[in-house]
Amino acid sequence: MRSRRIVSRALLYLVLIVGAVLTLFPYLMVVLTSLKTAPQLNSVSPWLPAVPGTLSNYIRLFNGKIADISFLAYLWHTVLFTVILTAGQLVFTTFAAYAFARLRFVGRDVLFWAYLATMMVPNVVTMIPLYLIMRQIGWIDTWFGLMAPYILGSPYGIFLMRQFFRGLPADLEDAARIDGAGTLTILLRIFVPLSRPALGTLTILTTVFAWHNFLWPLIITSGDNTKLVTVGIASLQGNLGADYNLMMAGSFVALVPLIVIFLLFQRTIVRSIVLTGMK
Amino acid sequence: MSAPIQPPSTNVPAKPTATPADAAGPGNAEPGNAGPGTAAPPGRGGRRVQRLRATLTAYALIGPSLLGVLAFLLAPVVIVAVISLFRWNLLSSPKFIGLANYRRMAHDGSVWHSVLVTFAYVVLTIPVQTVLALLLAVMLNTRLRGVKVLRAVYVVPWMATPVVMGVVWRWIFDGRHGAVNAFLALFGVDAVNWLQSTTLALPTVAIVGIWSSAGYTMLFFLAGLQGIPDHLYEAARVDGATPVQQFFRITLPLLRPTMFFVLVTSVIGSFQVFDTVYSMTAPNYGGPGNATAVLNFKIYSTAFQLFDDGYASAIAMLLFGLLLVLTLAQVLYFRKRTTYEHG
Repeated sequence: MRSRRIVSRALLYLVLIVGAVLTLFPYLMVVLTSLKTAPQLNSVSPWLPAVPGTLSNYIRLFNGKIADISFLAYLWHTVLFTVILTAGQLVFTTFAAYAFARLRFVGRDVLFWAYLATMMVPNVVTMIPLYLIMRQIGWIDTWFGLMAPYILGSPYGIFLMRQFFRGLPADLEDAARIDGAGTLTILLRIFVPLSRPALGTLTILTTVFAWHNFLWPLIITSGDNTKLVTVGIASLQGNLGADYNLMMAGSFVALVPLIVIFLLFQRTIVRSIVLTGMK
Repeated sequence: MSAPIQPPSTNVPAKPTATPADAAGPGNAEPGNAGPGTAAPPGRGGRRVQRLRATLTAYALIGPSLLGVLAFLLAPVVIVAVISLFRWNLLSSPKFIGLANYRRMAHDGSVWHSVLVTFAYVVLTIPVQTVLALLLAVMLNTRLRGVKVLRAVYVVPWMATPVVMGVVWRWIFDGRHGAVNAFLALFGVDAVNWLQSTTLALPTVAIVGIWSSAGYTMLFFLAGLQGIPDHLYEAARVDGATPVQQFFRITLPLLRPTMFFVLVTSVIGSFQVFDTVYSMTAPNYGGPGNATAVLNFKIYSTAFQLFDDGYASAIAMLLFGLLLVLTLAQVLYFRKRTTYEHG
């Protein structure tokens, strides 16, 4: 009986570890390949490191343009895009969520249902009209056009925060109101400090969403001043698809920031994902 | 991001507590009641003003998001429906053609091919991904040493940017020097042209879809598993149920709400795959031939490469309609099958 348990336990470990290796394998490939020269792609097994390695791919990537793509600039744009978008979403989502959770106003329920209904709209369905709207107001290939659809808060985030706000006790808010605190004071002094976990979740989800965003940037940006790293990777792939050592250096640079965030906030991230499934 | 589905396995502090405004109750501030000379209790008119102020405050607070939702989500849905009735290449002026785009679509083999490819992708990803996620969740729902690290490892792909991962997997599946072929060569298997083959390209893209979502989906099942009370399993063991019986008689039925949420959201996600298709099949996007031209890609290329925007809008409406039907079907199926469990 006991030995059977040990065997089954060992099997379980084996399966889980093999799975984990397969899960991480692409990352290993990114690192190993990015340190190889073009001839080494052919001569060294894909899963073995090249000896001696080379940093030439990274140097090429960071020194000016490759195939008309300023990779480093695009990476910087993605950082900016992610930070500004997340900041905007946090502010506007929190505002709206508070109103929906705590204020009683004409049209509240209708609006809330309208917000929820928009979550059913597939991303691609809005792309053509969004492009036309941006063209109408002259925002094609501008940062305004790139950000506008997302920066004003997302229905999903509002829903998430509203659920959280509704769970907070009313006494504190009542007491503050009696003391003459205004809505903004209550929101900033009471709700925001109490909502750190939910705000953390929202921050993570928005950051990942912004960093991954591809279809809209692909459509709306065309110049070197607006393109994001996802678009940059895709055009690198289109222009010199076979230069895998260079492509993997680019991939590494594009993947690392989120990996660092994952290592730092692993617990919050896991909790955030689970929370999105419980709503 | 995802659909408003509510699985009941919840520890979220979402109890609806009465807000101060709720406590005031409805119908407290009928107009005209608080005029001078009436015997209205003091504060009634004040309450009306207060309510007006609350409404103003509320609209100031939701203002930005309301603008966003109206201009960038609701208006586009109306606009896309309208454009689908026009012939328009974005340059010349649009020409109203009624339902001609839809009639054209009905006879357009390439659109139905895209519908087929999309469904094939969903069928290739969802069952494997869901079963894999469930198995992983069961295996990771134990008190093994290091289990937390393993759980975290399986979630890592969720953080991987899909376009970038498409590029990485393309290299892994590269016909000449890719890792998969190099591995197969160890066993004397000839090189396979994964992404250049019309039959293998879509399954190869599907593998990437499964890789990126299995761990993420696992977390939902894990949360669901942890919500199942231990005493059920104890009772089953006392009655002599085998682990397999316990899984099918206890675990699976009680996971049904989680299963519902997972299936609905992952079908919606798979149905709209784009990024990995785009980067894995460059520069013959959607290829080889049209082998990986999913609906999302078909809409993108029709609108932004062929500039046939009226027609692309009609295909977008088709995608929207298919997704609504698919989601509704799942809601109905699970509603029918879920009711008796909590009785």
